[in-house]
Amino acid sequence: MNPSAQHPRSQGRAPATIRSMIFLILLLTPGMLKAQAVIEGHVPLPKTRTAPVVNKRYEIVTQGGVLSTNPPLAVVYLEGVFPAPATPPVAQLIQKDLTFVPSLLPVQVGTKVEFPNLDDTYHNIFSYSLPKRFDLGRYRANETPVPSQVFDVPGLITLRCDIHEHMRALILVLATPYFVMTDTDGHFRLAGLPAGRYVLKAWVDSKTTLERPVELTVDGVLRVDFP
Amino acid sequence: MKLRRITIICFVAAVATAAGWAADDWLDRVDEALNVSVLQDSLRARLSGSVALEGYHFQPPAPGLINAPGNDLFNPRLVVFLDAQYQSNLYAFAQARVDRGFDPGAGGARLRLDEYALRFTPADNARFNLQIGKFATAVGNWVPRHGSWENPFVTAPLPYENLTGVWDIEPVPSDLVLLQWSHVRPGLPARVTAVEKQRRVPVIWGPAYASGAALSGAFNRIRYALEVKNASLSSRPEAWDAVLVGLRHPTFSGRLGYAPDERWNLGLSASTGPYLRPLAAPTIAAGRRFDAYRETVIGQDISYAWHHLQVWTEFYEARFTIPRVGNVDTFAWYTEAKYKFTPQFFGAVRWNQQLFAAVSDGAGGRAPWGAELWRIDLAPGYRFTPHTQIKLQYSLQHEENGPHRFAHTLATQFVLRF
Repeated sequence: MNPSAQHPRSQGRAPATIRSMIFLILLLTPGMLKAQAVIEGHVPLPKTRTAPVVNKRYEIVTQGGVLSTNPPLAVVYLEGVFPAPATPPVAQLIQKDLTFVPSLLPVQVGTKVEFPNLDDTYHNIFSYSLPKRFDLGRYRANETPVPSQVFDVPGLITLRCDIHEHMRALILVLATPYFVMTDTDGHFRLAGLPAGRYVLKAWVDSKTTLERPVELTVDGVLRVDFP
Repeated sequence: MKLRRITIICFVAAVATAAGWAADDWLDRVDEALNVSVLQDSLRARLSGSVALEGYHFQPPAPGLINAPGNDLFNPRLVVFLDAQYQSNLYAFAQARVDRGFDPGAGGARLRLDEYALRFTPADNARFNLQIGKFATAVGNWVPRHGSWENPFVTAPLPYENLTGVWDIEPVPSDLVLLQWSHVRPGLPARVTAVEKQRRVPVIWGPAYASGAALSGAFNRIRYALEVKNASLSSRPEAWDAVLVGLRHPTFSGRLGYAPDERWNLGLSASTGPYLRPLAAPTIAAGRRFDAYRETVIGQDISYAWHHLQVWTEFYEARFTIPRVGNVDTFAWYTEAKYKFTPQFFGAVRWNQQLFAAVSDGAGGRAPWGAELWRIDLAPGYRFTPHTQIKLQYSLQHEENGPHRFAHTLATQFVLRF
């Protein structure tokens, strides 16, 4: 909501008390103000996993086979009740060099995720996770429309490829628009937040979600280091 | 007995289903734990595998390569794979199994090292790969899906398992005897049936894990593979080990493939090599060379895949040169389709057929030297989780001149992979 829209200049100056009351009401209404709070902090990350070995036993033509190591990352998000986005967000999770990129993708509920294939071979993405079961079948590069799915139930989705057994990725579907991924050292900065009281969560892996109650103030910068 | 075993399989499947969602994440963690890396990630290795529980119900004699008395067989199998990668140039793999024989049989549990190979890829363009060891043949298009997880059926296609009248431990003495050996007769004592089945060979024995070396690669959409191995495509598992059989009588095989795009894959294969086992040497006439008696195979394969549909077809023309008989030919082919109806439910259907050339019947006429047959396989399957699936298979086989006009086989297989 834009306060200036409520007070067009053509109406002239309002009394000072009224202006003060309007300001106070807007200040005390979380989510109604333009988001401004910031949380910075750190999440302890698990140790780096070994990159998998590509199974090439029955592929007579093999190329490379060295996959990059995906360092563990965490997703930090603000839990609360927030309005759904006016237009469904769109995200991409690509398949390149027999790997999902990124290997962890946080999205808001209602997001449409596209899965473009950038390899010169077939991929077959599927998920048996309870929040979203699907199987896109075998599709190649430049397929139009790009195979996609809308993720409308919060939860963790494990993506796999039916052809390349080493390929795995996670989509974390969140009921909040306020989330961010840590860097590889576990540091994060979550900006543009509405003032108010919330629970800040850090998803580390499928078994570990850390949380901390937080109180955000307008223009405030809060430091949260998870244990 | 049959009901009890099938009940066990279904019970295990049901328990696995119930526990599956909880176990799924745990199995992913096991998978991560079975990956190791040393030398600053230059050398990586991974252990994986599967546990399979198979049940068969059939009319004796047992179909294909199954060698068991009675009507039923329960066959548990543990498979462990090792894959290792050193930088981008060296790849090694091995497969060990514990089961009741490479081909399902009535014996006790045995441990085998079925495959082990080292592959050298000098450049990243994949034009040349050199592989040595004991590994599956490059011929045809069935090998990439012969594992219990990838195969939509429980059994192999007909060319890979139908035993012919050709023996590899002793050459047949005449056309007339060849006609008598054309099939394993029903009603024989179980011990005799077992021996009869142990003497015969198919066109290709399963994935043909013989020992040797292979050169393979790709130039744009053309793919090639050439291999020199110690045993013919029809040779039995006992002949695949280079230590036991050696490389004195090599078999040469190859496949030339063309993939116009990801959907289509076409291939031409050929193979030639002596099919008699060394212990058959004393039965060969003096002055004749052992390796003059060869199995020569010409194959054509085509596959198509698009979204949830996959189709494979293979044609094989095989010739066995038999002492005192000459050349005998057979033609075997199949076409197979798999479709995923839902993310977890799939179905497959396969039509198989094998025909035999005619030889003299000793009475002035000519007759096919084998039992000509067709077989249709139907197999629904369901994946409970990314790590567990169950398959059912019904096969109806019709033989023109064999022991059964019609034969029925039921099979089920539960697989857990890790």
